[in-house]
Formats: sequence, C-alpha cells, structure tokens
Amino acid sequence: MAHKNRPLSQDELQRFGDELDAVRARTVAQLGAPDARYIRRAVSAVRWTGALGRIALFVGAFVPMLLWPACIAGTLLLALSKILENMTVGHNVIHGQYDWMGDPQLHSRTYEWDIVATSENWRKTHNFRHHTYTNVRGLDDDIGYGLLRIFPEQKWKPFNLLQPPIAVVFCLLFEWGVAIQDLRLGRWFAGKMTFKQLRAQFSPVGRKMGRQVLKDYVIFPALAGPFFLPVLLGNLVANVLRSIWTYVVIFCGHFTADAETFPKDVVRNESRGHWYLRQLRGSSNISGGAAIDVLTGDLSHQIEHHFFPDIPANRYADMAVDVREICKRYGQHYNTGSLFRQFGQVAWRIVRHSFPSRPRRQAALTRKPAPSLELGTGEAVQQAG
Amino acid sequence: MTAVLPRRSRVPLSQAFRAARDLIDPAVFDFWATRVNPLWTWERPMARLRERRQASADAVTLVLQTNRHFTGLRPGQHVNLGVELDGARLSRSYSPSAVDGDRIEITVREVDGGRVSRHLCRDARVGEVFDLGAAFGGMTLPPAVQGRWLFLAAGSGITPLMAMLRQLDAAGMPVELDLVYWARTRAEVCFSDELQALAAKHAGFNLHLALTREDDGRGAFAQRIGETDLATLVPHLEHRQVYACGPHGFVEVARQALQGRVARFDAEAFSPPQALPGETGTAQVRLSRSGRTLTVPRNVPLLQALEAQGVRPASGCRMGLCNTCACTRSSGITRNTQTNARSAEPDATVRICISAAATDLTLDL
Repeated sequence: MAHKNRPLSQDELQRFGDELDAVRARTVAQLGAPDARYIRRAVSAVRWTGALGRIALFVGAFVPMLLWPACIAGTLLLALSKILENMTVGHNVIHGQYDWMGDPQLHSRTYEWDIVATSENWRKTHNFRHHTYTNVRGLDDDIGYGLLRIFPEQKWKPFNLLQPPIAVVFCLLFEWGVAIQDLRLGRWFAGKMTFKQLRAQFSPVGRKMGRQVLKDYVIFPALAGPFFLPVLLGNLVANVLRSIWTYVVIFCGHFTADAETFPKDVVRNESRGHWYLRQLRGSSNISGGAAIDVLTGDLSHQIEHHFFPDIPANRYADMAVDVREICKRYGQHYNTGSLFRQFGQVAWRIVRHSFPSRPRRQAALTRKPAPSLELGTGEAVQQAG
Repeated sequence: MTAVLPRRSRVPLSQAFRAARDLIDPAVFDFWATRVNPLWTWERPMARLRERRQASADAVTLVLQTNRHFTGLRPGQHVNLGVELDGARLSRSYSPSAVDGDRIEITVREVDGGRVSRHLCRDARVGEVFDLGAAFGGMTLPPAVQGRWLFLAAGSGITPLMAMLRQLDAAGMPVELDLVYWARTRAEVCFSDELQALAAKHAGFNLHLALTREDDGRGAFAQRIGETDLATLVPHLEHRQVYACGPHGFVEVARQALQGRVARFDAEAFSPPQALPGETGTAQVRLSRSGRTLTVPRNVPLLQALEAQGVRPASGCRMGLCNTCACTRSSGITRNTQTNARSAEPDATVRICISAAATDLTLDL
C-alpha cells in the first residue's frame, strides 16, 4: 500500500515548522473580545443547561404525569451541561487558552472542573505528558490508558483477549478511569510503590471524588426528599452519558486507522518542525462542522489542538483552513472523517488488536540524513536524494 | 467628602457558614448572583462606577462603589483596579483621593498611549464593573499626627496626598502643612478649587502651585523641582516630615535634594518600567513566595536560569506548550524567547520556560 505521507527533508521540516509558527503568530495577534465572548457564552450555556436540567429532574420527580418526559429532558440537559463544562470550558481553560484574559475564574492554574478527576492530575497526565509526548510509546500514558492494546506495537498479553468487553466498561466509567490515571496503580501492583505512597497520592483524588459523589448522588437527590430516586438516576445517567461522549471523542483523536505511534528515541533533540510533524501523524480530526465543534469543545480539531494547545479553541476552525493547506503542500495526510467513520476505525482497532498482531511498516517521518561526506556536502546530497 | 477610617473588621465565620462555603463553587454563585447585582460575588472584591466628573483638563475623578469583600484602605494607600479591555483584564494601581465607607474616589489622568487611562477617562460609563485588589502601600499618616509636614506632588502624584490632606482637614488640620504641587498648566491641576478652599480655611495649610509651562500670575514659569530652592519656599524645611509622590524622575530628584536634610523623607513613584534594549547582561528576579532574590542572565529562559541557581519551579515540556511552569509576573517585563515579543502587563501569566527577564522582575514563585 502506498504510504499517505512523504518523508520530509531537514530543510522541508524546518519550513513546515516555520509556516505553522506563522499561523500561530497570526492568530495570537488577533485574540481579543470575540474570544472572551466565546468562552463566557460557553460558561453561560453550562450554567443554564445545568440549572434547567436539574429543575426538569425535580419537576419529573414531583409531578407523576411528567415523570418520563421531564426526567428524560432533564437528564439530557444535565449531560449536555457536563459535556460543555468538561470539553468546551474545562479542558480548554486548563490548557491556559484563556489565561491572557486575566479572569481568575477562567484561569488554568485555579480552574477546577465538574468531574471526579482533579485538575491538578490532569495538568500533569494530559497537558504535559500527553501533549508533549503524543503517541510516544512508554511516555504517553493515553495510549490505551495502560488497559487496552490499540496498536500492534504494544505487547500482546492473553488478557487482551478480554479487551472488547473491558473497553465498553471503561467507556461507561471513563471519568473514574481518568481520575485514577495518574495514580499508576500498575506500579503499586508491581510492588514499585508502597501503600503509603499510594494513599498519599490518592488523598486529593479521593477528596474530589467524595465531593462529586456528595453533590450528584446525595445533596441534589436529598433536595427532592421522598422523590429522590428519579433525581439520583438522572444524575447517574447524565454522568455516564458524559463519560461515553468524552471517551468517543478522545479515542477518535489518536486511535484511528491512520494514527501512528512512535518509539521513545524520537523525542531526543527533537526540532520544532519534527514535533509538529509527529503531532500531525498521531492525531485525527472529526469532520461535521459547527455542531460537532461545539459538542466536542473543538476537539474535533484534534490536529490543530495538538499543534496549538494554548490557543483558544474557538480559533481552531479558522486555523484549520491554513493548516490543511500547509499539510497538503508538504505531502502530509490530514487525517479527518465523520464521527462514525473515525470511531468505527477505533472500534475495529480495539477488536483487532485484542488478538496478536504485527506492526505494519510505518512511513518514516523524515528522510534519512545522507552520511556526511568529507567535503561537507551533506546538505546538498540530502536535498538531491 | 471626608476621609474615613478603615472599615469595621468582619465577624468571624461561623462553623455552618464555613461548611456551606466548602460546598459552594464561587464561580457558580457569582454567575447567578451577579445577574441580580453585579457586585454580589462570593469572595471577589469588586467595584462599580457610580459617578464620573472631570477633575482637570486631562483627568477624571471616578466614584466607585465597592462590595463587601473590599476590606477598606487608609488614605495614601493604593489599590489595583482591573479593567476589561478587548477581552483582557488589565490591572493598574490607583491611589484613591477619598475614601468614604463603601465608596472610593480615584482620579485618573490620561497617559499618552495608556490604554487603561484612556478607557477610564473617555469611555468608562456609569455602571461599569471593575475588579479590585487589596489595598497596599505604606505612605500613610501616623495615628497621632503632629509637627510640621511637607507634601510634594507632581502630576497625578497629588492623589494619595489629597487623600491624606482630606484626612487632616477632617481632623481640623492638627499640623503645619505645606503642599507644593507641580503641574504643567493650570488646566492640568486637579482639585484646584478644593485646594484653594482648604488653604483659605486652615491657617496651618499653605498651598504652592508650581506651573512649569504657564505663567502662574507672577510673570514667570515655575521652576522644576531640581531647580527650586525649597528652603526659601517652605519655612523650617529642616523640621519637616516630607511625603513626595510623582513620576520616577521627580521622586529621585526630590530624594537627592531632601534626604538627610529634613526630619523624615518618604516617597512613592509611579512610572511604567522601561525595557532595557538588547538581551545582554543580568536582571534581578524576586520570587515573592519564597522570598528570594536572584540575579539571572537576560538571554536565558527564566526556568533554565532559576534551575541553574538551585530553584526548582514546576515545569513540564520546556517548550511553551504544557503550561505547567506558568506563574504570575507581578512586576517587570519579560521577553518571549520564541517570538521576542515583550510583555509588560502587570499580573500577567508567563511561562517561564520560554520567557527571559527583560527587566528586573517579580514572580509568584
């Protein structure tokens, strides 16, 4: 099969990076009131859908005639609120995309999101490890979350035969999985961490979990008194719906058929151009336009997000036009497709690689530098070759 | 309006309130409560513009109503005002010229090229809401004020001195006080009528207006501070307790002329920091949380420079992406080592892995 990507020479790589840096600089220069309006409107949507959802659940609980319609509407609104809070507001704010606004309630270092995972752990596992070492095996814990074998390069174990049903359970409990990701329970099982260390690390996570459980499963249901059950179930279903949706969107971002993983040694002395190229080859977008963009917090533009994780996400759709054109000129595949197509590919990977599989040959990112000759013509040879 | 004491101290929080506080998300509370009243926040000090009036040809006085989270300030102190312009909140220090319960007055002079002062002088409308910081600054009058005093003001340096003058007026002027106030023209003099009235009211208060670009009625332009012989203008100079406030250069000249020759000299200067050209040499970085001050090279990213001296701030990608090393730069200018862009905005968030010191800095590390 012909490879979709052309290996770049060092010189091309440099220019590729420079052109993307220029797209970034152009956007940064434009940031202003429209971006502030976008994120505030997103916060507004979170609050209103959340309040209306909770009110509808109470209406359903107290008015028997309206039990089903009000509870369904309330649950969906609450799920929408949580999705917008996590994806459009939380994820983007924690990246520092809106730090330039100087709003203490939209600041990366203080924002705490409405999910059982702490913002603090997320900053480490996601902002640092996942974004710096995207799809680098052994460094990016998001590759299968230490649970699933998504790529043939991961070692197969008999346990993986069970992974299709495990993937479904993981999907339903995704927010809990993310919450304990940084604890690295595997290290404790392997005896590399004492119980005391684990307990110390778990304590802030446990507090956050307690707070979330108290809010969604104790306080709000208790407000409905004897009719607590519909409210409790509504909260539960809303949280699960949010888990499913975030799981689907996040898995589409890096686990589609054409997404690649990389060995550890790629990050050694990596140039900016190379870093961009690696982000591109490890990420995939979801097409579908404005509705998908809003519901995914612009993670439908995963490629642009990985190129520019600190630029306000509402800019990605515009930046994508330039990014796509640049990728085309440099012979690089711009991995995008509908939600069904992308998630179909992810599901197939989960099923396929539950069985033993062998890696395909991956196209090189760069052309091999020619062995430098005595006369110092290495550069010329490289370009000619 | 009279100067007033700091506000009453708050009743300690009850246990129940504290427990409830832990369950309430301040952002959620603020979202709904500020829809009813923009000052009803859970914990953020805020102020709303109640009234504006022209203070001089190029300055306006803004009357601000504060909310209950503002803990008050003493005359002569400063407060940071956060003003939202084009989506970004810019913070500037002002010295209220009057304090009265939950109202404070600030006088803002339009600075050439100053975005915030331009907005406040021209565009800010009654009803606009600002963030407030906590009061700061040590140039205030002692509790039992007495003796001979001299205030030296230049331009908008009059505002903290005006606050103290009003405080003294309310106390019946228990001291002998001279105020020398430099301005370019009569039209630029703030509080002109009030100052004249106070001078007429109190025998102990003498006003000297020094207009450097306009005939002050005696057929000559006033001299600048370095050229003025204050001893001939102000009797008993050597017994005076002196407070000076104005631009950096003004304060330095006053300090050189008076320090050691008077009973006491205190001064506060306002001037934006000037970026040094080039990238060579060193700068002082003050780490406000750990209380250390270090000398770092100006051509090396701050993270690297701090690590070289044994400081280990949180960091991650080291390429300006992951935001782990972000911290607040409360003063000074940094240079982005990737774009060479300089950033001077007070209280901005900087990523120290891609920022080098362009001037002396304060970071919240």
